[in-house]
Amino acid sequence: MVRRVWPVGLGVLLGVLALGPALAPGFVLAYDMVFVPEPALSATSFGLTGTLPRAVPSDALVTALTAVLPGDLVQKLVLLGIFALACSGAAALLEREAAPVRLAAAVFYTWNPFVAERLLIGQWALLLGYAGLPWAVRAALAARERRLRRAWVAAFLPAAAGGFMAMILTALTVLSVAALSAQPGRVRALRRTAVACVVLSLPWLVPSLLRGPGVPGDGAGVAAFAARADSPLGPYSSLMSLSGIWNAEVVPGGYDAPLPAVLHLLVAVAAVAAFALTRGLPGRRGLAVAACAGFAVAALGITEPGRAALRGLIGLWPGFAVLRDAQQYVAPLVLLQALGVAALARALTGAPSPGEVAGAPSPGEVAGAPSPGEVAGPRSPGEVTGAPSPGEITGAPSSGEVAGPRSPGGITGPRSSGEVAGAPSPREIAGAARRGFAARPASRGRAAAERAVITAVVAAAPLLLLPGLAFGGWGRLGTVEYPRDFERVRALVAADTVPGDVLLLPWESYRAYDWNGRRPSLDPLPRYLPRRVVWNDAVRVGGVVVGAEDPRARALDGLLRSGAELAGPLRAAGFRFVVLDGDASEWNAFQSRLAGARQGYAGPHAALYVIDNPAEQHEGTVPVPVAWLTWFVAVSYICFHLIASRSNVGAHEPRAEPRSQ
Amino acid sequence: MRLLIAIVAGVVLAVGASVGVVNLAAPSPVPVNKPLYNYGTR
Repeated sequence: MVRRVWPVGLGVLLGVLALGPALAPGFVLAYDMVFVPEPALSATSFGLTGTLPRAVPSDALVTALTAVLPGDLVQKLVLLGIFALACSGAAALLEREAAPVRLAAAVFYTWNPFVAERLLIGQWALLLGYAGLPWAVRAALAARERRLRRAWVAAFLPAAAGGFMAMILTALTVLSVAALSAQPGRVRALRRTAVACVVLSLPWLVPSLLRGPGVPGDGAGVAAFAARADSPLGPYSSLMSLSGIWNAEVVPGGYDAPLPAVLHLLVAVAAVAAFALTRGLPGRRGLAVAACAGFAVAALGITEPGRAALRGLIGLWPGFAVLRDAQQYVAPLVLLQALGVAALARALTGAPSPGEVAGAPSPGEVAGAPSPGEVAGPRSPGEVTGAPSPGEITGAPSSGEVAGPRSPGGITGPRSSGEVAGAPSPREIAGAARRGFAARPASRGRAAAERAVITAVVAAAPLLLLPGLAFGGWGRLGTVEYPRDFERVRALVAADTVPGDVLLLPWESYRAYDWNGRRPSLDPLPRYLPRRVVWNDAVRVGGVVVGAEDPRARALDGLLRSGAELAGPLRAAGFRFVVLDGDASEWNAFQSRLAGARQGYAGPHAALYVIDNPAEQHEGTVPVPVAWLTWFVAVSYICFHLIASRSNVGAHEPRAEPRSQ
Repeated sequence: MRLLIAIVAGVVLAVGASVGVVNLAAPSPVPVNKPLYNYGTR
């Protein structure tokens, strides 16, 4: 029980340390992170408007949570949950390891440049999938067993909730792990994992495929969103160090100094080397392939030939635009490095290798039930306190041991009939003596103290390497309250009975509100207002504009940039309201063009114009019944596995003992 | 030996953390006119 609870508590602690001011009352509004007090379900929440369903199903799930909890509390719970999930997942993946080893991996996986940069840019849905990744890998390993445990599918729910990028990264990793597992039942594992990934992707996958033609994946975004060097050591070093996001504004403070950059790179290289040299790590082959593939994709945009190739791919099929913001594909490498750090911690602390930690279930095993070879009783003294042999540190077999699966009479194998449960077997005693653990209490105490010091250093290393993540990136994730003007506009729009959509001006997607400390953020009004809001979803990165994806936004672009009168064309296009927000000095250019509309509200932070008699507008390229069907299938699949899988998925067959890969 | 490695690593990491914190605390130049509608800058 304690083995499973402390990683969650540690994750929450790390989350509190990282989020800091973000946990104060109010909302964090930073780049892509937008939570609002009372979001409303709309066609956009389900990807029915013809634009890319980037926030499906995350927006719908947040809306559902906000129905029972305050919006700002939902935001804090989601953010804290990411840290708890990531930390406990990394520890769970190494469930057979000793506590210091699990601790090292858990802290590293929770506190690293990847988490810092994606948190500061507000991509919480992606981080949700990242946090669930170790759980999903664990589930992919367990999928080889004939009988699945009841909550098996739960490991994929964070990725499913996070949406398309969360699931793409998860699928890349778990499919590699399942396909390249050395265990029996590999085909079964691959089939089950693939089905889970596809079915849980349906809510965003089907709207993506059915949206109307002619919505381009803008090639301009390839250069704008390519990975970049955020340290003096160059872009490849940044990616290896798990950073390198395209946006220079979200690099954690102090990260780009030469010494921290060198230390990050050294730790990364050491972790990868340890991963490569250590056998028996969970999902080793598949994780290596996923990490290499992810790194290759992430590095694609660094060189001009790579960018040209990516532009060519997007030209062939706009769906390849998911490769534009490529740095996020280093997520599998983060997990690989976390396991490498665990291997380093095992070597440094002298913790026993997984085979020696008798009684702990394997990473992919059903919770609770130990395998036949693990029914050993309390650990022998040597298993608890001793240092492993050199061969155990590096994963190579020690003298007398055989590479690969341990012999039946080995430390973890079934005891012979003459052995007493709970007592150390002759082999265990011999092993302890071989390693010199029949030592005096004084030297045992000294060894324990040494191990405590080493554990503290290994566990604190990620925090020392990256102090810039603490306290909400040192104040970057502070909270604010939405202006009252927003609530007034929302009330007026909600009270109006005339159908029609909302146009949001100025004609840009991101804002730097004075009341939000001029921090860039996505405009929250599309989620705030209870109607379909059309806005310019093109994004501006320095001097580059990455084109809009919403068909209605693209249709209106020429009109809004022309200087022509707006009310008449907007009436014909089915708009009932025009809302202005952001810097009020920017409103004049539009207010003078809204002579045909009446002003419904004006405040310092938002203004509302009403257009009478708007034309009826039908939009949406995705049939609603199809969208509902995707949700029905996905939810049914989840319910089946949560409720009925144990009684429906085959008969029991003995669980295979994990082998080194 | 392992303890020595850990102590050396801890000292180096602490120095690195100190450098990072000093850089964090150092005032960074803030642009006078921050762009109103930028998603970010490379």
